[in-house]
Amino acid sequence: MTELSVSVSNASGPGPQVALPEAAPKVTARGLNFYYGEHQALKNINLTLGTNRVTAFIGPSGCGKSTLLRIFNRMYDLYPGQRATGQLMLDQTNILDPKLDLNLLRARVGMVFQKPTPFPMTIYENIAFGIRLYEKISKSEMDGRVEKALRGGALWNEVKDKLNASGLSLSGGQQQRLCIARTVAVRPEVILFDEPCSALDPISTAKIEELITELAEDYTIAIVTHNMQQAARVSDKTAFMYLGELIEFDDTNKIFTSPSDRRTQDYITGRFG
Amino acid sequence: MAVESDVMEAAGPYDRARALSAFKLGDVTFYWITRACAISVLLILGGIILSLIVGAWPAIREYGLAFLWTQRWAPSADPPVLGALGPIYGTLITSVIAMMIAIPVGLGIAIFLTEICPIWLRRPIGLAIELLAGIPSIIYGMWGFFVLGPFLANTFQPFMISVFDGVPVLGTIFAGPPSYLSLFNAALILAIMVLPFITAISVDVFKTVPPVLKEAAYGVGCTNWEVVRNVVIPYTRVGVIGGIMLALGRALGETMAVTFIIGNSFKISSSIFAPGTTISAAIASEFAESDGLHQSGLILLGLLLFVLTFFVLAAARLMLMRLEKKAGN
Repeated sequence: MTELSVSVSNASGPGPQVALPEAAPKVTARGLNFYYGEHQALKNINLTLGTNRVTAFIGPSGCGKSTLLRIFNRMYDLYPGQRATGQLMLDQTNILDPKLDLNLLRARVGMVFQKPTPFPMTIYENIAFGIRLYEKISKSEMDGRVEKALRGGALWNEVKDKLNASGLSLSGGQQQRLCIARTVAVRPEVILFDEPCSALDPISTAKIEELITELAEDYTIAIVTHNMQQAARVSDKTAFMYLGELIEFDDTNKIFTSPSDRRTQDYITGRFG
Repeated sequence: MAVESDVMEAAGPYDRARALSAFKLGDVTFYWITRACAISVLLILGGIILSLIVGAWPAIREYGLAFLWTQRWAPSADPPVLGALGPIYGTLITSVIAMMIAIPVGLGIAIFLTEICPIWLRRPIGLAIELLAGIPSIIYGMWGFFVLGPFLANTFQPFMISVFDGVPVLGTIFAGPPSYLSLFNAALILAIMVLPFITAISVDVFKTVPPVLKEAAYGVGCTNWEVVRNVVIPYTRVGVIGGIMLALGRALGETMAVTFIIGNSFKISSSIFAPGTTISAAIASEFAESDGLHQSGLILLGLLLFVLTFFVLAAARLMLMRLEKKAGN
């Protein structure tokens, strides 16, 4: 099976579009709705994020893909008037449970934002900060964890000599990788990327895409992107959303070669969006 | 047609130059008006310092540096003996206590308002803070005199004495006969008066923290407190410290309310429940009936307050610079 799919991927050119076996579900949404006050932004979403798979969300601006992402870690909870209904499970945990410990949830479901968001502290502290929230460990152990996280974020070689410089002194691409390292350091199970490359130059973008592919070995990944090529390059599955609805959700290969819905076809060929 | 175009060509450059020169004149005027405004600040500041020094000169010549550490204040003695230690001590102690109360409470209110407060409660609290800032200082003075003073003397001080009696240092800080007029009463009123400054400025700067930065902190699993402590406050510390300094400046110089409730005693007591005085209270209560060396001594007190405020601001700047260095900027 594996050999067969590798040969298929070689035949279809570069990229990770390997017809992977169905992965165990990590996050499952059933009949998920979302409201900004009176306005319904998401309508009856049903989908599954497979364990250690990269799922891309594409669609025109305002289609609700970032909104969906922000339900996975209950970020919407910070803002009054926003609410979700339906069912959303992370393994056996009901994410929408009002009594759920949000800090714990967000430790399990990390998030990387559109703009790099280093905290106003040193590079070292940016990483150690998150770890310290959950674990009491010695200085030497912490040094090790920080290094591991920065290596995980493909940033170690660039910053190892200036760990005490401010996180804000890095370039945009480095800041974004710092944020990824920071997210990884907490050892989450799922990482959400909300247009992680939209503020970055092509070289930084390539580095981050490579990183996402590597991270998929250990984490379940959801990525919102406006860049169709990016979705095709990094993801195993792709969800196309339009006007708050999930139009099509399938293997990335299939979505980009033979989509079954007319609107998906129009969007990926650039006829609207 | 040809004639017309000739006229246009002749008139064109001429008009343009004139229009430009008119703008130029406006620009030059604008430049000099703004420059004059800026320079006038320097002139006013210089004038005030100069007149203070001139007015204080007889006292400076008479007492010299000993003025700073003499406690006795006897303007009617012959010759008058004047020392600033009492008012300096009172000014510093009341301001320090006031800031010790106002900073945590003020920041606490600001954090609650921006991070935690449900929307329907936001307006009432915000409005209350604004009203607090709008109350004239004389009303604070009266309230301190008629309400807070009796409460402190009859209830609070006996309680503190019963708790700390016999404890070294703390025992003496709270000891002494009950008095409506005291350093602590003044400090408490000052704390209430400067509270709105700290809160209002902190709220404004807390609102400047980008939501995505806070989301990022919540995203790694921070609690409210951890977000405030590690992201909001570090991000806004320059503004927050600015607000605190503004408040401290007001506490150091506040006159009317303090004059009402501090007791105007130049004697330094180890107890914060004893009457005392501050620089501004001393000037306000004595200036009208003073003359000669006495008046000069009061002006010298004013000059000291000026210098004190300057050093506080300089210290704040220094502290900020060190903080920035620590944060790795």
